[in-house]
Amino acid sequence: MTVRRSHLFSRASSARFRLFFLVLALLLVGVGCSGLPLEASWASVSLYGDTNQIMFAYANQVSLIDPIDGSPSELRDSDGDVRLDDQGNARTWRVQVEGGTATTFYTRPVQADAETLLLTAHEHRILEVDAASARILNGEGTDIAKRVVASPVLNGNLLYVPFSDTTLAALDKDTLDPVWTLSTERGVWASPLLLEAEGLLVVPSMDHLLYAVNPETGAEIWRLDLGGAVASTPVFANGYLYVGSFGRKLFKISLNGEIMYEFATKEWLWGPPAVLENQIYVADLGGYVYALTDTGQSFTELWSRQVAQRGIRPTPLVLEDTLVVGSRDRFVYWISRETGEEQVKREMRGEVLADLLLLDPSQLPSLSESMVVVSTLAREELLVAFTLDDGERRWVYGQ
Amino acid sequence: MDFILNPFITVLTFLYSIFNQDMVLAIIVFTAMVRLLTYPLTAQQMKSARVMQELQPELKKLQEKYKNDREKLSQEQMRMYREYGINPLGGCLPLLIQFPILIGLYQSIIHALSANPLSLIDLSGRLLVPGLGDVIPLENRWLGMNLSQPPDFATGAIIGGTLIFLVVVTTWAQFKLTTVPVAPSDDGKPNPMAATQQTMGTIMPVMYGFFAISFSVGLSIYFIASNVIGIIQSVLMGKANFRNLLPGAAAAQPAITPRTATITTSVRPTDSRAAPRRNNGSRPNSLEAGVKTKAPPKPNKTTK
Repeated sequence: MTVRRSHLFSRASSARFRLFFLVLALLLVGVGCSGLPLEASWASVSLYGDTNQIMFAYANQVSLIDPIDGSPSELRDSDGDVRLDDQGNARTWRVQVEGGTATTFYTRPVQADAETLLLTAHEHRILEVDAASARILNGEGTDIAKRVVASPVLNGNLLYVPFSDTTLAALDKDTLDPVWTLSTERGVWASPLLLEAEGLLVVPSMDHLLYAVNPETGAEIWRLDLGGAVASTPVFANGYLYVGSFGRKLFKISLNGEIMYEFATKEWLWGPPAVLENQIYVADLGGYVYALTDTGQSFTELWSRQVAQRGIRPTPLVLEDTLVVGSRDRFVYWISRETGEEQVKREMRGEVLADLLLLDPSQLPSLSESMVVVSTLAREELLVAFTLDDGERRWVYGQ
Repeated sequence: MDFILNPFITVLTFLYSIFNQDMVLAIIVFTAMVRLLTYPLTAQQMKSARVMQELQPELKKLQEKYKNDREKLSQEQMRMYREYGINPLGGCLPLLIQFPILIGLYQSIIHALSANPLSLIDLSGRLLVPGLGDVIPLENRWLGMNLSQPPDFATGAIIGGTLIFLVVVTTWAQFKLTTVPVAPSDDGKPNPMAATQQTMGTIMPVMYGFFAISFSVGLSIYFIASNVIGIIQSVLMGKANFRNLLPGAAAAQPAITPRTATITTSVRPTDSRAAPRRNNGSRPNSLEAGVKTKAPPKPNKTTK
């Protein structure tokens, strides 16, 4: 049969065709951006200075927060008076890179000297900041060529910078020129551990290897394959290294690079273990918490329990009778050290991935009670302080 | 999306582990597997689109005939669809089914190539086979480029440029090879179909080139692999027309010409899928087919 042909595309179908491709383009762009986190990592939360202010580094800002009430710390002059801006408002201690260049921070600032802080930005730059005024001293920063997600470590004049692509570099603190580099197959996503007395710099790498190098020269002393990516800084305790890997194992390693023994977990280990004498507490990305005893011959499991529905990244905070753990399921749990049973849990607005910070009156005399500071990925709850005993909220810092 | 995404990520990671931890090879094989699995949908979509194309003259006639009676027009159109045993959404439905798969494929590449802690921690719960975690993180460097990042022209201008060039060229080639060219109208007026086709033939490669510049190198590998496999599929199906790649192909070769050309292709009663059905399910002969047309004295152009 033959039939006459006509327009295959009327105006309407032509418009539909264009609309289809417009939708396709939007979907591809949308899909490309959705489902994946906008930030590269989680916050760094640490105590800073003589007054033990909270140094908070996340996304596009580094801020000092008052641990008493969670308010931004005010900038003060040498006489102790609050500095005011042009509108007469109190200035707060905050480093934020303005302008077109994206600059994000996930690492703990390093105190280079009494006046200067070094802030390592994810976008391969190091900013020199005047500690008193929070003013950036070197413009858009010094380019260090590679991205950084883990905090650098200072050792005298050397600044060890772990790069998230590959290698760890020891930079001259003043010039930021490389002194030596350690080549790794994959990135270094955790801070190196400096053991000055032992003359070792222990470098965890995503290439499954744990490296021990000379801190001054970078010469390799030993390397050890841990069967999975090593994304956490080893803990040095009892004369040994304790570290977990994505190979779902916790290792005890001697300082000459020998695995003493290991313990199998159900999921990847990302956070470092908490080691208290011969008691070890470690959590995995399946939401399990494990309590172990290091007998000197092996790890013996005291208990293990699935505490959270999603992974636990931060190191468990060990208290006298309780462990505090934060999870990706947006809860913070207080569990018994003895049995692992849940005692209290508190819901958060976002996932908890950063390490928990303990605020103790012994460090901060102005504090009336011990608190735990939890950081989430949610903008409205960047930091939340809970009382240590009963998990009562004390303050929230957010945007 | 997780029910699609997680198996995809698992399979991609598995391929990576068995192909000597070569991510590019894993992406290519994975793309081929997905294209193969969705082949019945692709074939059905192409066939359905072709039948709909071939019915356009008759639909046009109906539109003119019942331009003042929308209800009647709708009834007549539905009658025609019923008679030819086609679903007007038949061309879209397979596409809609494929869409989540394509999105899953695209996202799985991005997730599997996690380049930072937050995306890697997200990956941790997606691998359905526990042992696969041992190969994490996947090697994302290839020819000096990071597969999870857009091409870095500062350090690899030649390779990055070549990659984008290949994305653009293969997208263009696939579009040209799988599209029936449209000749200009005989009356000298602009042919809207030809104009649209020409516009799409330009926009699509440019759009994908833009994606290749903006998104990860891994995605560009996927685009190239998908385009090449699409071309191979159309060649194997006998739908590829290599003359379309030559300049002026639309004017120089048999093509769909609005109002004047004749069809001798699949809209015929002998075609089991395109032929209209009677109410009792049997297929009518050509005169009963419900498409009452006059064959021109001398068909000047045909398509196959």
